[in-house]
Amino acid sequence: ETWRYAFEEALEEVQGKFAQKFKEEVEANSDHEIQLFPFGTLGESADTMEQAQSGILQFVDQSPGFTGALIPEAQVFFVPYLLPADQDQLVEFFRTSKTIKELFPPLYADQGLELLTMFPEGEVMMTTTEAVETPEDLNEVKFRVMTNPLLVSSYQAFGATPTPLPWGEVYGALQTGIIQGQENPAFFIESTKMYEVTDHITRAGHNNFTTAVMANKEFYDGLPDEDKEVIQNAIDAAFDYIVEYQTGLTEESLAKIMEAKPDMTITELTEEQREPFKATAEAVEQEFLEVGGDQAQEILDQMKADLAAVSEGGGEAAEGEAATEDGSTAEGEAAADEAAMETADEAEEAAEGEETGN
Amino acid sequence: MVWAIFGTMIVLLLLGFPMMIPLIAGSLIGFVGIFGGFSQLDTMVQQIMAGIRPASLIAVPMFIFAADIMTRGQSAGRLIDLVMAFVGHLKGGLAVATAGACTMFGAVSGSTQATVVAVGGPLRPRMQKAGYNDSFILALIVNSSDIAFLIPPSIGMIIYGVVSGTSIAELFIAGIGPGLLILLLFSIYSYIYAVRNNVPTEPKSTWAERGQAIKRALWPLGFPAIVIGGIYGGIFSPTEAAAACVLYALILEMIVFREMDLRTLYATAKSTGLITAVVFILVGAGAAFSYVISFAQIPQQILGAIGIDEMGQYGVLFTISIAFFVGCMFVDPIVVILIFVPIFAPVVQAVGLDPVLVGTIITLQVAIGSATPPFGCDIFTAIAVFKRPYVEVVRGTPPFIFMLLSVAVLLIFFPQIALFLRDLAFGY
Amino acid sequence: MTLDDKHAPEPDPDVVAAAKAASIDDDDIDDSKYVSGLPGFLGVIDVGIARIEAILLAAGVLLMAINTMANVVGRVVGHTLYFSEEVNQALIILITFAGISYAARHGRHIRMSAFFDALPFPLRRAMMVLIAVITAAAMFLLTWYSLDYVLSQASRGRLMPALNIPQWWIIVWAPMGFFLTGLQYTLTAIKNVIDKDIWLSTSTLEGYDDSREEEI
Ligand code: NA
Ligand code: NA
Repeated sequence: ETWRYAFEEALEEVQGKFAQKFKEEVEANSDHEIQLFPFGTLGESADTMEQAQSGILQFVDQSPGFTGALIPEAQVFFVPYLLPADQDQLVEFFRTSKTIKELFPPLYADQGLELLTMFPEGEVMMTTTEAVETPEDLNEVKFRVMTNPLLVSSYQAFGATPTPLPWGEVYGALQTGIIQGQENPAFFIESTKMYEVTDHITRAGHNNFTTAVMANKEFYDGLPDEDKEVIQNAIDAAFDYIVEYQTGLTEESLAKIMEAKPDMTITELTEEQREPFKATAEAVEQEFLEVGGDQAQEILDQMKADLAAVSEGGGEAAEGEAATEDGSTAEGEAAADEAAMETADEAEEAAEGEETGN
Repeated sequence: MVWAIFGTMIVLLLLGFPMMIPLIAGSLIGFVGIFGGFSQLDTMVQQIMAGIRPASLIAVPMFIFAADIMTRGQSAGRLIDLVMAFVGHLKGGLAVATAGACTMFGAVSGSTQATVVAVGGPLRPRMQKAGYNDSFILALIVNSSDIAFLIPPSIGMIIYGVVSGTSIAELFIAGIGPGLLILLLFSIYSYIYAVRNNVPTEPKSTWAERGQAIKRALWPLGFPAIVIGGIYGGIFSPTEAAAACVLYALILEMIVFREMDLRTLYATAKSTGLITAVVFILVGAGAAFSYVISFAQIPQQILGAIGIDEMGQYGVLFTISIAFFVGCMFVDPIVVILIFVPIFAPVVQAVGLDPVLVGTIITLQVAIGSATPPFGCDIFTAIAVFKRPYVEVVRGTPPFIFMLLSVAVLLIFFPQIALFLRDLAFGY
Repeated sequence: MTLDDKHAPEPDPDVVAAAKAASIDDDDIDDSKYVSGLPGFLGVIDVGIARIEAILLAAGVLLMAINTMANVVGRVVGHTLYFSEEVNQALIILITFAGISYAARHGRHIRMSAFFDALPFPLRRAMMVLIAVITAAAMFLLTWYSLDYVLSQASRGRLMPALNIPQWWIIVWAPMGFFLTGLQYTLTAIKNVIDKDIWLSTSTLEGYDDSREEEI
């Protein structure tokens, strides 16, 4: 049987690499064939998502940010400074997260989709025409963001003027100066040549671009168990592969950029410099709770619990995964409750503040 | 299925069906053939929507609107008078000026369709009056507008750069040489055409007359200022510049020249909407058709059978040229770039071709294919805006296609036409 | 091209310029002269729909210009209207689908008529019936499946990210446009069967001379 798989990037970008590995694994371990459809060949992200929903495509890769129009909870990945900056912790989070393994699948299922996995694509960096070290440096800067309310609020909170612009116009707009900045992972800044029309890359560590691979649910449910296993194994193999592939990818991409444009400056903000940016996250989190759908609170709380679990138990878990698995789950749950209480309190305070403020 | 699709499309086209029907039929056969029934036709509708939705297409109705207001009022006439004051006495002068204006406007606005309307609209009647044959004028306008693909900013080059990982800045510079060469050839052809058909010239204007023409054109000179200054100055995106032109045209014609009343404004807006709809349903139907081609992996099938891996550099370049040329005869250029570039990428690398040269040749072929029958947005736009029959719009095309293909061949054998400026600018 | 007749002749250069300027307005469609192909009460409704289509077309274009400029002004003063792009999307869909029916009504759809024109009269008339019937059938087919598409979008609950309204609100024009276009081509087929002339649409006669309108 021929299965079709569409994704949002070019064949040689991260999603494309993942898809190629998945194809390779499935074809090696079964009689099925997989056709890959890179960015744009079957329409935009929203179009391929709908095609996966209606069963024309068996597999689709869509970033949760784009999924927000369909599953508002998925926008949680736009809350700044939620995901850890540390790569090992990040990977561990995607491997173990209860949010991804248990809370999100039913939400995707409601849309006729089987959530197969989520994976990180790389640290999001700002590329700008002027150097950025403090939120003040973003004042008056017209900053291109995807059309998403949370991204708009994030950059508003940073002090910039968020300016949604279709992707095809971004290069030209940076060149002529309609906008002065945009954000993306390093590999994407390199492959789309955004560095040609900006002079500064700033690593504020505010996010990591996340994406999700899904199957049409009816198709997936109708598969015999051995096919499901082939798919699951291929997904796992592709996940491991992409983690490996990404080690050093950011540095490699940045090195390529420096080679192509030696006078580019790349600034990694210090913890201290990040503080004022981090201070704005709270407001965006509140906004997420408003626009993130019925389960926003639950998702956010669980997400924080998952993250607490990987940051606390990270080192041990890595050493003796099998042995400490039970323990760390328990720990995770305890942390979840704690985090839930904390955020509930914060939410209350914020709500009161708003009332009195008005 | 491939033959059934293309055969049906050509037959329906020739029988005189509304142009949307061949395109819709092509995609219908594809959808039914692929999915064995009507079950997935909602995706065909989705693709029609996806075709008309891109934000950058908004420039088209906006420039149609602005051009219509300018032409009904005085702005366009005054601008053309200014041009005539300087080139009216030269043999073929108006034609060369038209080609130059189309190239410049197309380059800046980034939209070939908008160029056909905004520049071709006002200039065509003046050229007719000057004694040029209409099918020459139409072909000149459509083909000169397509030079816009080659001169920065160019959406086609940006897409190619992203898909192939090539420097967009280098592509932009490499496109200038071939773009100007084409403009030169078109100008020479226009001159020869004017001499051979004995197109009359106007008496040479005195400097006093020219001064008068400049004075009268002062207000309307705001249009090129908005488009060129606004876009390069970083104030507007091309789409926004189009809307700014609408606003400025309304101010001029309703307040300054008092040429337009609310009733005419309504009629103009309605006529703009009508032309937009007639063209955009074809853009949408074309997108659905492109989807079928892409989904059924038809290009891969055809190209796989050719055995491109065995060819040398020239063989690869010629194959690429033909593939893009033929592809763009039927399908939207952007889609062709998205589908074909990844297919050719490995072989381009294997034979050691400069990706910037390949990108320039591809962009040129895209420009040629878009202006070549049977299907092409610029052709459709010209038909809808000028209200001339299809055959007449494409009748004058062959000499232009010949010149364009000559440049393509030259480019393959003398890559320096494209790479000279690039090497100079980037110090290679 | 006729000369402009807006002003009394004066030797003013501006007026001369206006007169010389090409005008597209000599073939503006006058909606008040539109005659429906439908009899009686149905005809009244049809004329009403034609009027609404015309107003939607004009309003769509004007709103698009205003919306796009407002976005520029907003950006300059530091408050980008981040829903502006989506408003334009909604408007272009509205314009396209209100317009295809309006174009069908007035015989304005683009076609390649060279071979058609070379046919003898009776064959041409039969051909026009066939064209109208097949076109109508294609439009009705698309009506059905675009309705299907709109309904599935509604059931999925997809929202416009910035406007935060259901996406199906802006695409609902598609089934309407296809249906009304199909209806126009049906009426055109009927008109060609019962009338001795050849009709491009219920109100547009197919021409023999080289005038502009009917050839497009
Ligand atoms: Na251009
Ligand atoms: Na073409």
